[in-house]
Amino acid sequence: MNIQPLGEFSDSAALSLGVELELQLVSRRDFDLTRGATDLIGSLDYDGRFGEIKLEITESMIEISTLARSTVDGIAADLGGLRDTLRHHCERNNIGVCGGGTHPFHRWPERRICPGDRFNDLYQRYGYLAKQFTVFGQHIHVGCTSADDAIWLTQALGVYVPAFIALSASSPFVDGVDSFYQSARLNAVSAFPLSGQCPPLNSWQEFTEHFAFLQACGIAQGIKDLYWDVRPKPEFGTVELRVCDTPLSIEQATSLAALAQSLARWLLRTRPPLDTAKQAHVARYNKFQACRYGLEAMISDPLALCQTPLRQTLASLLEAISEDARELACERWLSPLKQAVAGHAGDADWLRAREKEHGNLNDVVREASQRLIGPDSENQEKTR
Amino acid sequence: MGNNSPSMLDSLVGLPRWLWEALLDRLFFLPPFPERMFGPSSLGWISIEALAQARPIADAALGLLMMEVGRRLDLSWLRHNPELLRSTFADIALSFALIFAFALWLVGLTPAWAAATAAVTMASAPAVVLLTIEEARAQGQVTERIILHTAISSAASFVAFALVLGVVHAELSEDWLNAVVHPLWVVAGALLVGGIGSWLALNIAHILPKRSLAQVFVLVACALLAVGIARMLAVPVFLTLFLMGVLLASRDRQQTLRYTALPEGHWLLAIVLFVIVGASLPWQEFTWLAGLQALGLLLVRAVAKAGAVAWSGGSLPLPKRLLVGVGIQPLSATAVFMAYELASLYPEVGRSALTLPLFAAAMMELVGPALCRLALRRSGECESGAQARGGIA
Repeated sequence: MNIQPLGEFSDSAALSLGVELELQLVSRRDFDLTRGATDLIGSLDYDGRFGEIKLEITESMIEISTLARSTVDGIAADLGGLRDTLRHHCERNNIGVCGGGTHPFHRWPERRICPGDRFNDLYQRYGYLAKQFTVFGQHIHVGCTSADDAIWLTQALGVYVPAFIALSASSPFVDGVDSFYQSARLNAVSAFPLSGQCPPLNSWQEFTEHFAFLQACGIAQGIKDLYWDVRPKPEFGTVELRVCDTPLSIEQATSLAALAQSLARWLLRTRPPLDTAKQAHVARYNKFQACRYGLEAMISDPLALCQTPLRQTLASLLEAISEDARELACERWLSPLKQAVAGHAGDADWLRAREKEHGNLNDVVREASQRLIGPDSENQEKTR
Repeated sequence: MGNNSPSMLDSLVGLPRWLWEALLDRLFFLPPFPERMFGPSSLGWISIEALAQARPIADAALGLLMMEVGRRLDLSWLRHNPELLRSTFADIALSFALIFAFALWLVGLTPAWAAATAAVTMASAPAVVLLTIEEARAQGQVTERIILHTAISSAASFVAFALVLGVVHAELSEDWLNAVVHPLWVVAGALLVGGIGSWLALNIAHILPKRSLAQVFVLVACALLAVGIARMLAVPVFLTLFLMGVLLASRDRQQTLRYTALPEGHWLLAIVLFVIVGASLPWQEFTWLAGLQALGLLLVRAVAKAGAVAWSGGSLPLPKRLLVGVGIQPLSATAVFMAYELASLYPEVGRSALTLPLFAAAMMELVGPALCRLALRRSGECESGAQARGGIA
């Protein structure tokens, strides 16, 4: 077993941000997933000015990750630059790019694992689950100035996992059928043995002891084996939020990053009391509610011993963090989220509406791809 | 036992060849196309009369496949990728020029028949390429570029074919009216019939659910209608249906038929096509000299195609570009049909003048699918392989 040491927690600037988006590579002929990531990466002529473009586990996925930025506007600029770079190179290779947490109708046995030791190891370890892991998520990194803050923030953000799931949900279709879920992507993630919530740990010391325990038991080799919903990332000095579906647009991805930054600031500033043990009892149920019903979820409160509509708690939350958003100069990015909470259709609803109109999923992916690529293409589509 | 039935002796004679093909399967992963069944006429399984009767079926099969190639002609890719424009142009120009030079100077054909030979053999075989890719369920840059090269070289060979029609008329009959009107009729007629077919298909399919079986019926019915009209008006079926496919793709603004695929059964038609094409080849005229000349043509053509994709550079690494060059080597049904169209103009000279491309096509019937399959396998873009068996490629 190749044990990888945890390493020291690298301090980073407080509330600095980084965003990773896993994107779909689709055929421009029928908009099914296609295999092309390795050739695409091999043909890249790009200096890295906006961040990285890299392989993910299968040939039908590509990951873009921004540089560490202090502002949400910086993240928006990086994501826009990465999107445009990717669009240019995908056009050269006749490949389409698309957002969304799942591809609505691809067949997972047709997926091919990317070359590389890590991907090879994952495939050998998890077998077909590795191919079924062709799902697409957004990961948000929030910088912490200390390791203990990172562990505290990991626990604190855990309570808000349903909010991030509901606001990003964009995976209603799986295997060509409506799953009835708003976010079906996380069902693919939950098959992995180390997915789920971070255990109720209270300090960096406890975390390192827990991780050493997992390594000693042969369960985990490195931090990347922990597929927790929220996890510390010592190498970057961040807390990584991993539950979001990749939204259908760069703008929505940026809004989610704004929510993460503002919420983290509010949490670290107000330090609300955490009852991690009690939260652990309802975490899976609340996560299911958010995946299944999105903003219509009923969230269990283990302290008040009641259920509350997620829409209601989110409205209060967005109000509570607006002052922090203003301080961080990202308040405008929260507007789309407020509109969604007020009743505007989210990405999953949009996908269902398009499917209802077209009667097929090929056209849904075609329009979703145009939505990611940018307003020009959208306008072209509207003028048709 | 009737005259058309295979005798025990025929079966015994055929046995060593089947064993040889089984060995080839093992060595070169030959696909299970009946391409290799090129010998039915030589064994007396299919009579000339039967071949003539089967021609409409072959036309229909070729037509459907050509329509599919036309639908896949994606010129927008060329706009975004100048290197592809360079490599497809180089493929077309080099293939035509080198084959023409070979036929003119080394074989000694007249300029008109050398041009006819080049026009007929410059393109890759769409049917072989598409079916090999479909069978291997290949996806990736090598696969996509093989399809693009095949579609564009087919389009270019059809243009060259139309021009050569005029040149042959001019050389052999000195009838300048015929030399101008016949090529124009071929192109205009094919465009007209293809246009009517695509218009009908799109307008009828528009009122049906996308990807429905009813749409498949409409697509196939309109294609067969176009085949019938093309035969009636004496315009080449392959050109008509290719243009119909191009028009279907380019005029389908509302994606009406974009995702509607041909039924799985079109494999059966392809099998019939390959048998008929194989059986129609003039094996009885085979000589060692003709064989060597055909082999020379194929070598020249191979150098032109591989050289074009290698020289044109671009983002795809050289080994993969060379695999594209290997994958576009097949030469088959379309070339044979074009050769017969040309030969039928002046049968007394055309038949012998076009022996060279026909023998070249016959040789490629055997190795073309294997080369295409080899390129796809080496590129790692086939679905089968180590991963399909649970391993890592």
